[in-house]
Amino acid sequence: MQNRAVEEQALKIASLNGIDFYQIKTEKFKTNTINIFFHDNLRKETAAKNAMVPAVLRRGCERFPTLRDISLYLEELYGASFDCGVTKKGERQIIQFYIEFVSDKYAGGNAGQFEKATDLLIDIIMKPVVEKDAFRNDYVDQEKENLRKLIESRVNDKMQYAVDRCFEEMCKDEPFGIYDYGAVDDLADINSRNLFEHYKSMLETYPMQVFITGNVGEDKIKGIIDKLSNIKRGKIKKVDITNIEKEVVKVRNVTEPMNVNQGKLSLGFRTNTSSNDEDYYALMVYNGILGGGIHSKLFQNVREKASLAYYVFSRLEKFKGLMIISSGIETDNKDKAIDIILSQMDEIQKGNISDYEYDSTLKAIETGIKSLRDNQLQMVDFYLSQAIVNTDDNFETLNEKIKKVSKQDVVEVSKKIKLDTIYFLTSKVRQ
Amino acid sequence: MNIKTVEYKKIDEIMHIYEHSSGLRAFVIPKKGYSKKFATFATHYGSINNEFVAPGEKDAIRVPDGIAHFLEHKLFEQKDGSVMDKFSELGASPNAYTSFNQTVYLFSCTDKFRENFELLLNFVQNPYITDESVEKEKGIIGQEIKMYQDDPGWRSFFNLLGAFYKNNPVKIDIAGTIDSISRIDRETLYKCYNTFYHPSNMVICVVGDVEPEEVFGQVEALIRSTGSRPEIKRIFPEDGKELNKNYVEQKLAVATPLFQMGFKDTMFDSKGIECLKREVAIKILLEMIMGKSSQLYNQLYSEGLINSTFEFDYTIEENYSFSIFGGESSDPSKVRDRIGDSIRELRRKGLDRNAYERIKKALKGKFIRQLNSVERISHLFIGVYFKDVNIFDYPDVYDKISFEYINEKFEEHFVLDNLALSVIKPA
Repeated sequence: MQNRAVEEQALKIASLNGIDFYQIKTEKFKTNTINIFFHDNLRKETAAKNAMVPAVLRRGCERFPTLRDISLYLEELYGASFDCGVTKKGERQIIQFYIEFVSDKYAGGNAGQFEKATDLLIDIIMKPVVEKDAFRNDYVDQEKENLRKLIESRVNDKMQYAVDRCFEEMCKDEPFGIYDYGAVDDLADINSRNLFEHYKSMLETYPMQVFITGNVGEDKIKGIIDKLSNIKRGKIKKVDITNIEKEVVKVRNVTEPMNVNQGKLSLGFRTNTSSNDEDYYALMVYNGILGGGIHSKLFQNVREKASLAYYVFSRLEKFKGLMIISSGIETDNKDKAIDIILSQMDEIQKGNISDYEYDSTLKAIETGIKSLRDNQLQMVDFYLSQAIVNTDDNFETLNEKIKKVSKQDVVEVSKKIKLDTIYFLTSKVRQ
Repeated sequence: MNIKTVEYKKIDEIMHIYEHSSGLRAFVIPKKGYSKKFATFATHYGSINNEFVAPGEKDAIRVPDGIAHFLEHKLFEQKDGSVMDKFSELGASPNAYTSFNQTVYLFSCTDKFRENFELLLNFVQNPYITDESVEKEKGIIGQEIKMYQDDPGWRSFFNLLGAFYKNNPVKIDIAGTIDSISRIDRETLYKCYNTFYHPSNMVICVVGDVEPEEVFGQVEALIRSTGSRPEIKRIFPEDGKELNKNYVEQKLAVATPLFQMGFKDTMFDSKGIECLKREVAIKILLEMIMGKSSQLYNQLYSEGLINSTFEFDYTIEENYSFSIFGGESSDPSKVRDRIGDSIRELRRKGLDRNAYERIKKALKGKFIRQLNSVERISHLFIGVYFKDVNIFDYPDVYDKISFEYINEKFEEHFVLDNLALSVIKPA
């Protein structure tokens, strides 16, 4: 019976050639996961290319050259799930590959599930379908088209669009303003050959992490480390630490017209607090009190009391030191909503935090942290974030630090927060 | 306390069952080492139950559409404020939903399970409805109805139901219409509540790291109404076996067309193991015909006729069943024709036994993966409970199902005369 303190913690088990291997031991799930991450700086010149690489790799590998071949094999592996793509954390773009599969016990005994899944994942990453020193033209063309449609379809989710656009406007002159998948006008220059070159440099130079979760024996771990140490690696790229300092000279107001029934309001703030600062935990509690649930000031005042919104929340963008407040309101109520929102923030600065707000927030955060342990991919994401910002928290220590935050700590951290940009997606444009 | 325990060794799960004197059954599915505890309290009453004879009465009554959903909203309001706030103070996340067949109240928490569970059992058993609060709710639900009217996925689904069925109440919007909810009043709400919210018509399910005796002890103490009640007579209108229409189209503000199509099922056993076998068989067939490893899917995908939004499913309930598949497409009619061609071709050539074996394995693996999540287990459990199905019977059904049975269901279900198409086109 394993010690619970050691269970569900990420342990770094090896580090070689710029690849860090982590194991999260847990016995309670019926599946295992293997996750491989490649890190790069988020830059306009490379964002779309980094998004294209996993899209094309997903189409086939030497052993299974088409999407259908890969699907057939995943079915053989008792319905294993595979996916890959890009994500951004601060000004870092991360290419990720993952596979999840039932353990041997549920695959009829000696199925070799772990080895087979490992080999498939590594083949997809390291042995793509190559024709004349380039990717297949049809795969590249089709995925360029898919990527174009994906970027253009951002507007379909109006709520998320209003959040993304606010951050883009705030960080116009900073890398954070670049969309996770790049921009449509970056696609034209991509071809099978230069994308293949780009892919090779990813394999050779991007810092990597591998996370393995579940109940996995030592020999299997050694197996995957051995296989991945075969990747030819060169000089490993240095990924910059995201800069969070920016002085706000004047609040910007941006309005975007669109055919919407309901206005979408976003307020973007600089918190001037980085995720490995001592007072970051106080910022988490601040965010919870302000707009982190039905107990929060925003929910109670903007929605319940003033009936201005169906949804209103605040959220931290931890890697870039930002905070966003987002709400869907009648287009005519923009000024009224902003007033109430800013006055709630004022209340906190003045120390007007009720016991109910404070206690509920600590409980909600605690529940959220504990809940992460029930999902392997959420645990991986948690520890990936810890590794990126160089903090050493696990679920227990994080919760301890949250519980130590006092109302006064919340007041102190609130004083550093500065409004940067107000963004409004609306059907009416003022003359 | 009379507790029955069943072990499912092949999938490492256990089910504890307790039968309360009222006729209510409570289930605990322990998940050692999990942080979240998930509790559901559900009633066998949904949007299709708009005509019934209440126990002890002689005549049937027809209630306004959307009343089951309306009632679900109302239960959260108590004399001393909203129940949501109380859950919040205890650090729990409450929720509820109304479907065609059930109304489900639930919460998840990582601490204070006892207090949260007591709150759940109490508020669902204590309706507090005033004329004022009924009127207020009409405005709020009116907004919700309008929101769904704009949702193209929702509309294409309900339009398909309208194409399948002429009279079957499954085609009625779960929330009703602005007009139908305007006729809801306090008396009718209480009548529905008193008919369907008797414990003998309900079920409790708790999934997580809990002690069964403690949970059942709370059920015993907190559930009222000892003594069973006679059956509720649920009334459903007559409906034909053939399609109402085979094509329906609506224009909405979408970028590309959306579609849903499916086969109306005309024979089915809506309870017990036969129902489970049919569901598994047809899901295997759908995967064989149009899943990611099928020729059809890959051809349609590379021709740009479907994309990654394409999905399929099969539903079987007490008085309706159908398969449904769809997504975005520039030419839904062409997709329908190609599916028809593919099915005719399969009839000619015969089904591929290797594909069947492989897909059976894959679907069983996917089912087992769902057992990782306390929410998924609860949701699946409640989804089949009122059909007298136990979710832990699924793996056995996958193991014992035969290729011959699959062929039978292929003949029965995939009948092209029963295929209807619902399209949402850009305005």
